[in-house]
Amino acid sequence: MQRNLKIKLFLFFFQLLTAIVFAFLFPRLTLPFGFAYIIYLMTKPLTVLLTTGSKKQRFLFFLLLFAGVIFSLLPIFAAFYNLDTDFSKFTDQLPEIEKQLQDKYFVFKVYVFEKFGYRLNADPVSFVVKKLESSGILLLAKIPNYLSTFFEWILLVPMFLYFFFFQSQNFGSRFLRSIPNSIFEKTYVLFSQFNTKFGEYIIAKFIEATILGTLVTLGLLIIGFPYAFVLGFIAGVTNILPYIGPIIGFVPALLVGLMSNDPNVSMFAMGLIYLISNLIDMVLVFPLLVSKVVNLNPIIVVVSVIVGGQLGGVVGMIVIIPFIAFFKLLFQEIYKDLSVQL
Amino acid sequence: MSYERDIMNKGQNSENLTDRLDVPLLKYLWEASPLYFGKKDNYHEFFKKISVLSSFSDNEIRLFTKFLHRREFIADEVIFRQGDSGYGFYFIFEGAVDIYANHLNSNPDDRGDFVIRLDRRQYFGEMGLLEDFNRRSATVVASEHTVLLGIFKPDLEKMLEHYPVLGAKFLRETALIMANRMGQLTREIMSLKRKLKEVEQRI
Repeated sequence: MQRNLKIKLFLFFFQLLTAIVFAFLFPRLTLPFGFAYIIYLMTKPLTVLLTTGSKKQRFLFFLLLFAGVIFSLLPIFAAFYNLDTDFSKFTDQLPEIEKQLQDKYFVFKVYVFEKFGYRLNADPVSFVVKKLESSGILLLAKIPNYLSTFFEWILLVPMFLYFFFFQSQNFGSRFLRSIPNSIFEKTYVLFSQFNTKFGEYIIAKFIEATILGTLVTLGLLIIGFPYAFVLGFIAGVTNILPYIGPIIGFVPALLVGLMSNDPNVSMFAMGLIYLISNLIDMVLVFPLLVSKVVNLNPIIVVVSVIVGGQLGGVVGMIVIIPFIAFFKLLFQEIYKDLSVQL
Repeated sequence: MSYERDIMNKGQNSENLTDRLDVPLLKYLWEASPLYFGKKDNYHEFFKKISVLSSFSDNEIRLFTKFLHRREFIADEVIFRQGDSGYGFYFIFEGAVDIYANHLNSNPDDRGDFVIRLDRRQYFGEMGLLEDFNRRSATVVASEHTVLLGIFKPDLEKMLEHYPVLGAKFLRETALIMANRMGQLTREIMSLKRKLKEVEQRI
């Protein structure tokens, strides 16, 4: 009897391992699958409201939701329109920016020569520009690849979304049935906790990024700083990365400020806006939304983000946090069990 | 509001009863009816005869069964051990289980002293569903081929989120089970104390 139970346990772990290996071997399937899963988790709370309550309540909620989506999409479309204009303005101004940087570097070279008698031979500006150009050419060469990936995602993401919304319950119960009795309770509870934590984390980070992006954009618009929409968008997106994100998000604004000749552009005011926005995020938004979901030590978070970046790039940096929170739960459970046995 | 009451209210207000044919519901109601002579061993029949869930309406039982997990155990298979973390509450759908307590931690094969045998329609493990860090107070072993219907913490949370009235009702029934067990325990302690006093007086 014990032998049969052991075989069942072995087969379950073998099945699990095969799924993990498959996921690593076929990232072209795993990434859209993961993306669809994130969308599913984000929209899951809405499905509860859409499936429960009386018919009138559900209809009213649906109407409110529809109106909400339309009203929230309008400013996003407006922002994207501005984003596009900002980006084209930036590309148009690139030669001018290069010339300005060359001039500034020349002044610096002359200053170093006069002061220290040392002639600077390096030409970092040309180096950076050449690098940018070559990466631009590389980007152009990669466009067909990106397009094919984009079309693949257009096809795959809705397909996976359909699976999550309509088939996942069936698949989930089949998966649960395959879990051996000896580990069922713990696996099921941990799996559910991970799902909840992951969903809550993604929603919390999305809201946090939107709030920060909006704050930065509004602030920059008020002081008349150029590329407010692009910079706000970058600040929001990079904010998804814990601790390192705000610094990365600040760098483009710093570069734009340094390169600008406009006397109205105040670096101090820009810095203050980033500081205030990040302070609001740190003091209000993060403790209220995110820290309740992932109760992790800041050092562990920073180390995890670096490890996640090494393993899976930007996606790895984002998803590593809920995974670490899950492993913390798992180790706590194991530790509790061991302490009882001892 | 229960399904039956909803239907009744709609009837009284001369509203349309339903605008689409709910095949799974019709199938369920047919299987639950006394005219159905097919497999009588369905979940509805089973839960109707469990006293603690007697206050549940037919539709509530139908919804409740959606949250259950069917687990099959072979004879002599351990369901859980004393000291394990507990997350679930089980109903015995088929077969029987033996409960053992006071086992020795040092010996994994030791099950402890036999306490009681539970049969079909009996239940165990309700503390696991309610307590935050529950440790199983006894070892439970399947005495024959056994089918259990289990409900676990995540299911209860889901039930409270999707069907709050049903969730609250189930929690009330679970609390009643625990209150009964507590009452039983108190009576046993009282009786033991009385016996201890008698022994002390004799000495």
